[in-house]
Amino acid sequence: MKKIVVPGDEISGGKTFKGEVYKENGKTYAAVVGLAEDERMIALKGKYLPQLEDIVVGFVEDENFGRYAVDINSPYEGTISGRMTRIRLRIGDIISAKVSSVDEVHNTELIEPRRLWGGRLIEVEHVKVPRIIGKKGSMLKMLEEYTNCSIIVGKNGRIYLRGGNIPLAVMAILKICKEAHTSGLTDRIKKMLEKGELNEKA
Amino acid sequence: MKRHDGRKEDELRKLKVEAGVLKRADGSALVEWGNNKALVGVYGPQEVVPKHMANPYRAIINCNYRMAPFSSKEEHGRGIPNRRAYEIGKVAKHVFENAVLTNKFPETMINIQMEILQSDGGTRVAAITAAAVALADAGIPMRDIPAGVAVGKVDGEIVADLDKVEDNTGEADIPLIFSPKNEEILLLQMDGLLTKEEFKKALEMAKEKSKEVHELQVKALKKKYEEISKEVMG
Repeated sequence: MKKIVVPGDEISGGKTFKGEVYKENGKTYAAVVGLAEDERMIALKGKYLPQLEDIVVGFVEDENFGRYAVDINSPYEGTISGRMTRIRLRIGDIISAKVSSVDEVHNTELIEPRRLWGGRLIEVEHVKVPRIIGKKGSMLKMLEEYTNCSIIVGKNGRIYLRGGNIPLAVMAILKICKEAHTSGLTDRIKKMLEKGELNEKA
Repeated sequence: MKRHDGRKEDELRKLKVEAGVLKRADGSALVEWGNNKALVGVYGPQEVVPKHMANPYRAIINCNYRMAPFSSKEEHGRGIPNRRAYEIGKVAKHVFENAVLTNKFPETMINIQMEILQSDGGTRVAAITAAAVALADAGIPMRDIPAGVAVGKVDGEIVADLDKVEDNTGEADIPLIFSPKNEEILLLQMDGLLTKEEFKKALEMAKEKSKEVHELQVKALKKKYEEISKEVMG
């Protein structure tokens, strides 16, 4: 059962509750506006915090002493060691990379950068990304199938699209983000993609 | 006793709370409280400038209070902030340092910009009420949503939610902000004199009334998502 909660709402459930919650006097409370499910709490808004193994899409912002500073749509910036990369990056490059380590003050190390060029980049709220990917990647697979785009979804909310029917894919993604907290979303998106029209409001 | 605008002793002015009114800010809220209008935008957590202000253990909070030049009868808001604006920014900062889970975002800052578009007494409570909603709208983790009301003494009676006339002619004015979950006091300022019994009565009245304010804050936050649900699911 999904329920919209606000900060300070008591959440009944197990002690293993995951997500943006905090515990006080043995009780669990919501810390953000979100959806409370049986086992976890899904935030409906918020800033991205880098996590291990995440794929992110970022901009190269700075280069010094063989290290690159990368803007990853977060309060904290990522760094790439020049030694760990085979390609040479330049300031202004758009890249996808993997988070290889994060410490307690959120210093983030990235590896395996790939330069992205051509195509189109859109930015959405990072909390909506799990919805865009879907269960075991089902939503993303469907998007790619119907639009013939190749899509790279960064966990930080930046989405890179290339080839195929990009406008339709963008429309579908914006619709997903708008209606992320509702159920039966996959069917509605499928209908939209089958129609293939662009006059949908998003 | 009847108050000059016909309200009962413990009656609030008409209160309207709206969340997410600004597109560019991370979170925002508009509160219309009687003739008060407070607009708040929240940015962050973001990189700290200047960098030496950063705290490696928690996020720092910046609060700016400003009255628009057209907000009241007297002149306001031109040039640098005055002593009063600094004071309100500082007390609001302390309210939110005790409400936001700042330890989740070390070495960042959260900017809260509070703008009074129209003022009619009790603007600091209106501004903090709006800022609390804006913070929640920005998705910043908080213990709960601070809510409050001003209480005071006018013509020998304890009354809630004083407007400008009552504030200027009354005997005492106490802006109060509570943490609604456990009724902890986050802000208490007092102007004027009260006896111990009167103060206790005022405090109880404020506690009771702040619950009404909190209900409206929660409603405003949920409204956006509930509307979309209704639209697509019928």
